[in-house]
Amino acid sequence: MVLSIVLSGLAIGSIYALIGIAYNVMYSASRVFSFTAGTLGMVGGILGSLFILRMGMPIWAGFLLALLGGAVLGVVTEIVAVRPVLKSLDQHLYVLSTLALALIVQQFAAIEWSTEPQPFPRIFPIERNAFDQQFWLPMIACAVTLVGLEILYRRTMLGHAFLAIAEDNYAARALGLPERNLRMASFAIAGTIGALAGFAGGQMLLAFFANAPMLTFYGFVPVALGGMGNNRGAVVAGIVLGLFQQAANFLVGGIFASVAVFTVFILVLLVRPEGLAGTAVGRRV
Amino acid sequence: MDMSTTEVRPARASLFGSPALSAALPFLIIAVIAATLPLFAGGYWGVIATRACVYWVLAAGLNLVVGFAGQIAIGWVALLTVGAYTTSVLAAGNVMPAIDPFLALAIAGLVGAAFGVIVGLPALRLRTFYFAITTLGFATIVTQIVLAWASVTGGGVGVPGPVFPAPFDSQWGFYYLCLMVAAVCTWMTANIAGSRFGRALTAIRDAEVAAEASGIAKPKLLMLVFLFSGATAAIAGGLFASLQSYITPDAFTIELSVLFFIAILIGGRGSIVGPLLGTVLLTVLPEFAAPLVAWSTFLYAVLLLAIVLLMPGGIAELLDFKNRRPLESNRAIVPRPDLLARLLGQNQNADTLRLEQVALSFGGVRAIDGLDLTILPGQVHGLIGPNGSGKTTTLNVISGYYTPQGGTAKLKGVVLTQLAHHRRAHLRIARTFQTPRIVGEASVLENVMIGGTIDGRGTFVESLLALPRHWKDEKMLREIAMLALSAVGLEQLAAVRADRLQHSELRFIEIARALMLRPAFLLLDEPAAGLSAEEIRRLGALVVEISNNGTGVLLVEHHADLIFDICHHVTVLNLGKTLAAGTPAEIRSHREVVNAYLGG
Amino acid sequence: MPTLGAEPLLSVTGLSTGYGKVGVLRGVDLTIAAGEVVALLGPNGAGKTTLLRAISGLLPWTGGVQFSGRDLAGAGPRETVKAGLAHVIEGHRVFTQQSVTDNLLLAAYDVPRGERAARVEEALGYFPEIAAKRHERAVALSGGQQQMLAVAQGLVQRPRLLMLDEPSAGLSPVLVDRVFVVVSKLRETGTAVLLVEQLIEKALALADRVYALARGSIVLEAATGEADLPHRLERAYFAPTPAAG
Repeated sequence: MVLSIVLSGLAIGSIYALIGIAYNVMYSASRVFSFTAGTLGMVGGILGSLFILRMGMPIWAGFLLALLGGAVLGVVTEIVAVRPVLKSLDQHLYVLSTLALALIVQQFAAIEWSTEPQPFPRIFPIERNAFDQQFWLPMIACAVTLVGLEILYRRTMLGHAFLAIAEDNYAARALGLPERNLRMASFAIAGTIGALAGFAGGQMLLAFFANAPMLTFYGFVPVALGGMGNNRGAVVAGIVLGLFQQAANFLVGGIFASVAVFTVFILVLLVRPEGLAGTAVGRRV
Repeated sequence: MDMSTTEVRPARASLFGSPALSAALPFLIIAVIAATLPLFAGGYWGVIATRACVYWVLAAGLNLVVGFAGQIAIGWVALLTVGAYTTSVLAAGNVMPAIDPFLALAIAGLVGAAFGVIVGLPALRLRTFYFAITTLGFATIVTQIVLAWASVTGGGVGVPGPVFPAPFDSQWGFYYLCLMVAAVCTWMTANIAGSRFGRALTAIRDAEVAAEASGIAKPKLLMLVFLFSGATAAIAGGLFASLQSYITPDAFTIELSVLFFIAILIGGRGSIVGPLLGTVLLTVLPEFAAPLVAWSTFLYAVLLLAIVLLMPGGIAELLDFKNRRPLESNRAIVPRPDLLARLLGQNQNADTLRLEQVALSFGGVRAIDGLDLTILPGQVHGLIGPNGSGKTTTLNVISGYYTPQGGTAKLKGVVLTQLAHHRRAHLRIARTFQTPRIVGEASVLENVMIGGTIDGRGTFVESLLALPRHWKDEKMLREIAMLALSAVGLEQLAAVRADRLQHSELRFIEIARALMLRPAFLLLDEPAAGLSAEEIRRLGALVVEISNNGTGVLLVEHHADLIFDICHHVTVLNLGKTLAAGTPAEIRSHREVVNAYLGG
Repeated sequence: MPTLGAEPLLSVTGLSTGYGKVGVLRGVDLTIAAGEVVALLGPNGAGKTTLLRAISGLLPWTGGVQFSGRDLAGAGPRETVKAGLAHVIEGHRVFTQQSVTDNLLLAAYDVPRGERAARVEEALGYFPEIAAKRHERAVALSGGQQQMLAVAQGLVQRPRLLMLDEPSAGLSPVLVDRVFVVVSKLRETGTAVLLVEQLIEKALALADRVYALARGSIVLEAATGEADLPHRLERAYFAPTPAAG
């Protein structure tokens, strides 16, 4: 029993962490938190099911196309909901524009796909066992993403350029870096990561439109607690969240688990609005 | 001074007479249509119209939170749920003997008010997106608790909604009940919108630092608004339960919550009639085409995106005909310093504002290093120095945005550095900002009236119910604001939306707003930036006359000519320290200053 | 001193710009010849930084800007950099979390891959003290070294015109001289420099010509050899109404 709590906690925590990383990647490039983060996960799950089960594509093709779908949605987010409101960040219009886009995609999925959870294919044709692929797939996806991003940011010119626009957007522009293209690329990467979360977690969460708001909320918890822009913090906080939620689920039941997570989230934020790992930022007039 | 020369021209678009009527006109039209609806519409439309009324009861209160205070409260359906279940459970007698539905509705209102504060509370601590997410979380959690608490709420099976006694038990009877509640909510929120509280809310939304500088206490005001908005949402919930006749947790979806939220934004921020029309529109729209019902939330979301990107002013801006008239293009700002005596009164200010040995560093860099500064009443004190010498930092220490690590700032024996930001206005310290902080969607007059917020005497409830002190405050603030506008030379623009003005005019509006406090001390942060030579000259004359009326002025400025023209005393900062201090003539000939200021 | 007879490298005519509704510059005219060092002086708030931002495409403007025969209307910072115009912004804003080398490589983002290393070495050649720290993160550098790194970032781009915004701010006199020595070396290689500076005397000693900006307009243009320049500058700054340029 303990084993299954730990396994499912790690798995679900990895999914939250991946969505948290998607939030972070978008935030670093634009200083915008996007409501579409959870939508990306939902899209990954539904596209996977659509391409593989409904359209009968090979698994690898369905996987790649699902990721591509996420990347496209990421770029669309940047063009439609972020770029037009970047000039007036202080008016917080991005909250409304990204919320609108998230709702548009979510409602479209509900109507054109299904309002009920649909099955998601098994990826590897191996027997079900205690340490099943539905648990280890999200963990591997999370580990691969974290390592991949570290390599990108440390070893490649592109990654250095991402870090540059995240640290000082103005200086990066003055230096002639293609800031707009880099921002679009960041959103494409975030979209891919979000879709990967949905695809890897598809066997647990199924292909369900309502995963979008659920992941938008639970994926933000690791960002808020782990410190925004901090991917390692998001992974740690995401996994703690997953374990806590699954344990509470088992001990006190699903509904009170949600209440417990929410209460802890609110209390931590009220005490430390900058997150557990973050540092306070002074106010400028 | 001869009083006949100080006659102030009345505002051309005064708030009396026909403009007031034209503002009320849309409400009257809607009221007449709503009241006579049974004469020309069938029973089915009665249900739709009742639903629109119920939705508006919630949206009216939420409008103060979202449209006026600018708080992104997406999950307000949580309060609808609380109200619906409180009313239904009490009226059905699930936990205690059944009580009268009206009493149950009233109790629901109280419970809703308390919950409104709980859901709204995080807004005081959290950034925008965080707050939006927490309200969304509340909406989810409340539904889950309702599901789990089956012994009281009936869980997934649900409970019957309350049935109101005759004559409200018939379909049209219930409609008129809801219409009455909606009308009362409209009236109350319109009262708030037109009061110093409504203006203060928009100031918090668009110009938070200016709101604080005007003495507006954000926490207290937001709490009041959350109380009111929670109460109306819960009452809407009670009526909603009765309309549905049976409620289950499924009825309280996030989509419903988003509908309220979007209705307000489509209507336009800072408006009452816009969101009212928005609510009616979103309630009625799906009825015109059955296939649209499934797509309704999708369409609302598309509408929201279109509004945000293309028409941020919403329906209210479409209806705002008078602000589409072109403004005179070659208008000039002609201040009338002679009016200042009447505006500022006999300022018997004998105190000095004193900074002693103030020191402040940011991460090891000394921004101010042991600064002494004495600002005398009735004098203009200039503060100049190169970039990064600590001028604006000094202003921000006085305003309370930075707490110095050493030294004090004192006025009347009060240590300023220990006060909350907004308390400075009570000591009659006013300020303007490097970048004008203005509520763009409010009129020029309303913007200026924000400066006098703390001088109102009526309470929030008195304004809500339009009691006599509310009217007295409004009359008083409007008169002083017109006088202040005349003094800075902008009275002809009083009724114009502030965001249509030129930059230089905004600078003078900020001064008028600061004058509303009848300041003992006025802090001006680069007021001449972006002004023409002629405007700078007029600004100088205005500032001199302000000081002649007893106000101490601290002037931070790059325009050396202005400083040397009008200051009694000049302090030159360099690297956070006083490089020189003295009269303009002394400073002008100070070799070191000339070098430091010009670079050298 | 280079003559102004030939086609100028940079020619700014009637440039106006500002931030939103706030107009900062009104009808600025300015020219720079190839290989010329021009100092741009003026009191705080006059619009010196704003002028550099407009020329390098960081701010939209109206009027005309020609750079080596090319019209820069509508060009963003990436295009102006590619055209050979490097802008070292104020406040030595380097990327603190990345190494010195990586900071310089970023400045060479649009340089062909094979050429980048050589460009970085060339720029580091001007500043031995940061070359010694090439593998350290920029956060470990002193303020003066960060400023050198920022200038080196501009040099990586092998500009035809280098615009330096207050390179001396926060630097000790010794370090200022080090930076200024580099500027005079650049002149020898034919690179033009537009220098915004607070240290008037040092700037005048270095530059061929000087422009003074006050209240959003050019109030003085002179060769640095002309007599009584400091006094004329002072008069131009404090003039109660904008004088003709």
